[in-house]
Amino acid sequence: MAGAIRLAAGVVEGSRAALSRAITLVESSLPDDFARATELFVELTRQQARRPTAHALRVGITGPPGAGKSTFIEALGRQLLDGGKRLAVLAVDPSSATSGGSILGDKTRMHALACHPSAFVRPSPSSGALGGVALRTHDAALLCEAAGFDHVLFETVGVGQSEVEVANMVDMTVVLLPPGSGDGLQAIKRGLIEHADLIVVTKADGELRAPAAALAREYATAMSMLRRRWRGWRTPVLTCSSHSPADVRAVLGCVRDFHATALRSGRFEQNRSEQELRLLFSAVQGELAFRLRTDARINALIREQHRRIVGGEVAPRVAADCLSTLFVERMRGGQSAQ
Amino acid sequence: MRAAIRRGARASSTVSRWVALAKKETKKDDPLKQLARPLAEGVAIKPIYTADDVAALRTPPAQLPGEFPYTRGPHASMYSNRPWTIRQYAGFSTAEESNAFYRANLAAGQTGLSVAFDLATHRGYDSDHERVRGDVGMAGVAIDCTEDMEILFDQIPLDSVSVSMTMNGAVLPVMAMFIAAAERHGVPAAQLSGTVQNDILKEFMVRNTFIYPPLPSMRIVADVMAYTAAHMPRFNSISVSGYHMQEAGADAITELAYTLADGLEYLRAATSRGVPVDAVAPRLSFFFGIGMDFLTEVAKLRAARKLWAELVQAEFKPSNPKSLLLRTHCQTSGWSLTEKDPLNNVVRTTVEALAAVLGGTQSLHTNSYDEAVGLPTELSAKIARNTQLILQHETGIPTVADPFGGSYAVEALTAQLADAAAAVIVEVDRAGGMAKAVGAGTPKARIEACAARKQARIDAAADVIVGVNKFVDARGGAGSNAAPARLIDNEQVRTQQVARLERVRARRDGSKVAAALEALRAAAGTEPPAWTPGTPPPPASSEGGNLLALALDAARADATVGEISTALESAWGRYSPAVSLQSGIYLAEWSAVAQAAHAGGGADGHGGGAAAEGACDTDGDAQISRTRAKAAEFAAAFGRRPRILVAKMGQDGHDRGARVIATAFADLGFDVDVGPLFSTPEEVARQAVDADVHVVGVSSQAAAHRTLVPALIDALRAEDADGTMVVAGGVIPEADYEVLRKAGVAAIFGPGTRIPIAACEVIDKLAQALHAKRASVAVA
Repeated sequence: MAGAIRLAAGVVEGSRAALSRAITLVESSLPDDFARATELFVELTRQQARRPTAHALRVGITGPPGAGKSTFIEALGRQLLDGGKRLAVLAVDPSSATSGGSILGDKTRMHALACHPSAFVRPSPSSGALGGVALRTHDAALLCEAAGFDHVLFETVGVGQSEVEVANMVDMTVVLLPPGSGDGLQAIKRGLIEHADLIVVTKADGELRAPAAALAREYATAMSMLRRRWRGWRTPVLTCSSHSPADVRAVLGCVRDFHATALRSGRFEQNRSEQELRLLFSAVQGELAFRLRTDARINALIREQHRRIVGGEVAPRVAADCLSTLFVERMRGGQSAQ
Repeated sequence: MRAAIRRGARASSTVSRWVALAKKETKKDDPLKQLARPLAEGVAIKPIYTADDVAALRTPPAQLPGEFPYTRGPHASMYSNRPWTIRQYAGFSTAEESNAFYRANLAAGQTGLSVAFDLATHRGYDSDHERVRGDVGMAGVAIDCTEDMEILFDQIPLDSVSVSMTMNGAVLPVMAMFIAAAERHGVPAAQLSGTVQNDILKEFMVRNTFIYPPLPSMRIVADVMAYTAAHMPRFNSISVSGYHMQEAGADAITELAYTLADGLEYLRAATSRGVPVDAVAPRLSFFFGIGMDFLTEVAKLRAARKLWAELVQAEFKPSNPKSLLLRTHCQTSGWSLTEKDPLNNVVRTTVEALAAVLGGTQSLHTNSYDEAVGLPTELSAKIARNTQLILQHETGIPTVADPFGGSYAVEALTAQLADAAAAVIVEVDRAGGMAKAVGAGTPKARIEACAARKQARIDAAADVIVGVNKFVDARGGAGSNAAPARLIDNEQVRTQQVARLERVRARRDGSKVAAALEALRAAAGTEPPAWTPGTPPPPASSEGGNLLALALDAARADATVGEISTALESAWGRYSPAVSLQSGIYLAEWSAVAQAAHAGGGADGHGGGAAAEGACDTDGDAQISRTRAKAAEFAAAFGRRPRILVAKMGQDGHDRGARVIATAFADLGFDVDVGPLFSTPEEVARQAVDADVHVVGVSSQAAAHRTLVPALIDALRAEDADGTMVVAGGVIPEADYEVLRKAGVAAIFGPGTRIPIAACEVIDKLAQALHAKRASVAVA
């Protein structure tokens, strides 16, 4: 507990090393660390009289590989920093399925952010954490906000599930699309666009300027036919060269616009409230699943029931019902029988 | 038709006769395949070549050297009339010391100069810039102003000694200062002979000593070509370099293809600006690396000449036959040098030099045996030079032009390489040429894949390096029989340079400098004048907006390298590369090697076959599984995988080592953060803290580690992260180990370290430290 108090104090005081270690804790796969992380959050809440940065903006930035996400984040981030903001970038990188290791290389493209005293850049592997990507990413965002960062950007590769999970925990989702790659239609199919609050066609300079504009027009038409995200906001489509400060300013203006509109309309609070409910539910689910998986007695029974199912002695539905009831009873009676 | 049939029939009978004989000897079912050696993706060297291989070639081998397509050599008489130029690349610390070294070498029989600049100069920084603390004078000579250049060439007759300068990023200030210094010595630009590397495309691929983004960088290249074409008839304006690609891991075909594709791109850049092809093509020179694969290297140079002549003929149709000649400089491979048993390097360099000579090079640099760990000493430099003198004067080899002409193997290999490279060049052209391809990062990715595969093959001992992964001398410690490497006191060099800078800045006419710099900035900020075919091109002068002419005005006014670079930077910005790293290649090659070893050979596809009997180290295979198991164990014990930040500090852009380590460590189960190039110690510390890595791995190729690694450890302490372990690897002389260990470095991995072993050591040390920490917390 003493460790949690010290760590929480460090985070709140704005120690970079403390924040970083706290994120490591929520990303850990050790049950002990999971408990410690819970203590940490108890302590954080105690030390903060109120949620200090309740209106810090969380923006998810996603797009297919090659959309220029990191370059865009670097450019956008620099303008935020120039405006006196404090910015945290949390990047979720896919881990290798074969070796388990991964390359978290995007710092090479965020040189200015990685070196700036008001920025915090943290790539994380997508596997490992006990509570799942959603919980631990949300935790990381809370920690950054507790440390005084008023903007949190989440970078995810737009392949697989992580970007949908991230869309469920941010205030605004920006989808980046490169011009002329044919990824556009796929993005619609995958439902990426469904979550977009802003679509940016990137790399709009040099020879790609015209194709980028054409793609943006196509999307603007498509978006006008789609259902609005919510009353008061129709997803805009912009083109942007990350090398053009004016373009990046325009995107930033749009982000601010969204933030103001969402706050004014009550959508901001409502969205967060819905997200927190979903998160709570899935965290409880995760916790229960973990206890189930690590309960030796139940596991033995599962294997036994499995044998019976294979032997045709019992139907899966019946076995499951029986096991669930047993598990709930065991939980009610505490784990002392283990 | 009938001839073809007869040829085919005869071929099958010769080959089948050989197959029958070889089967009996080797007891292999398919010796033609099983004894073949893979060279690159889809290309293998056969165990036998016969007259039929030569007869089956698409075009018959060239008859004579000096005749199109110059396969056999650019000149008819070759070395029997004039031997190749012995051109040793050198430069260190200050202009004074390098000047003394050059003069001594010229007196000892060297015939041309080749200047190595320090990294601060390469990247356009003055010696007093805060980002170059560890780099000044370390891997070459520090040049800040025209006065430095005057000292560098003091008492060297620039009207007769040709000077080659390895300079790319800061080519404008350096060329300008070279011309201005020569003027002050009384030698006009028109009399200067030599070469400037000026090959920016390969910088974006492999060497990373660029300054500006690709587009303005190509404009600089074109302006240098235009200026020299107009004012410096004896000067080669580009040395199109494959050397650095080979050093970065490219196979012979990749090196050949990308180098020639770069050359074509430069010709296009010049001709599109109105400079006639015959004004630039004859002053293009090439630069290849020569590694240990003897026959391949001989064939590579022959193939390069043939392919270049054909490509230039087809695209540019020059009227001057000299435009078709590929003239090349060669350097023996620095990468092939080993830290262990360094005297073996004398033998390696000799074999490589021989390949360059038999391939028909025009000039040659032979490496010193101690260059795996640092700058050459006087003794090692002498042996390197004498290697060439012995080849020239004792062996009789130079008396016959292209002695390999007509060899079944070399002629067939020449054609094999030329065809394979031509296919890659077609691919590049389809992607819109080399500048585009480089912008998209495809060549870099291809070369890095080659490097990761090569490293896996060496770590698996499928590719043998004597004294390193096989026949290791258990008694001899690394460097035990070598002379100590030359140590540079870079603080002292820096102090001296800074003093001179201050003196020069005080005595010059400030308003003249400001005006010259403003003119340069303004020209850089405007688009170069467009040229329409049929009209005269814009003059290569200050008035015509030529950047070299404008830089020369600034150099004459004593502007510094940093000031000229900053003027351009204010118009274009500094470029930071963004090429993502691939993982999985290292591991895949290991599996391929292991499979081949179990299957007992077979040369189909890449990565098969090379494992001759017993060559594959099955111990190594176990080593890989052991390392990965360890990483998993670590994750189970500490809640996450071992996490490493692979960092490059200072201006050293050689990132092959760092990138191979990064991709291999990820394959071995680490989570790997890759730091940006050119970082300061404080920036690395911050990244290490943000990512909460267990360990920072510093890769150093250019000696700055003596300053920068201790600074990193201090910076980590300042960030409250002194628990972060620091390890170092790369070109680190044993003499530096003590300094680094004292500063707190936990492990040092010299050249030739097998990656899985290094990875194991890192995990063990981390686990030990973390367990100890846990124990102390428990006690408390």
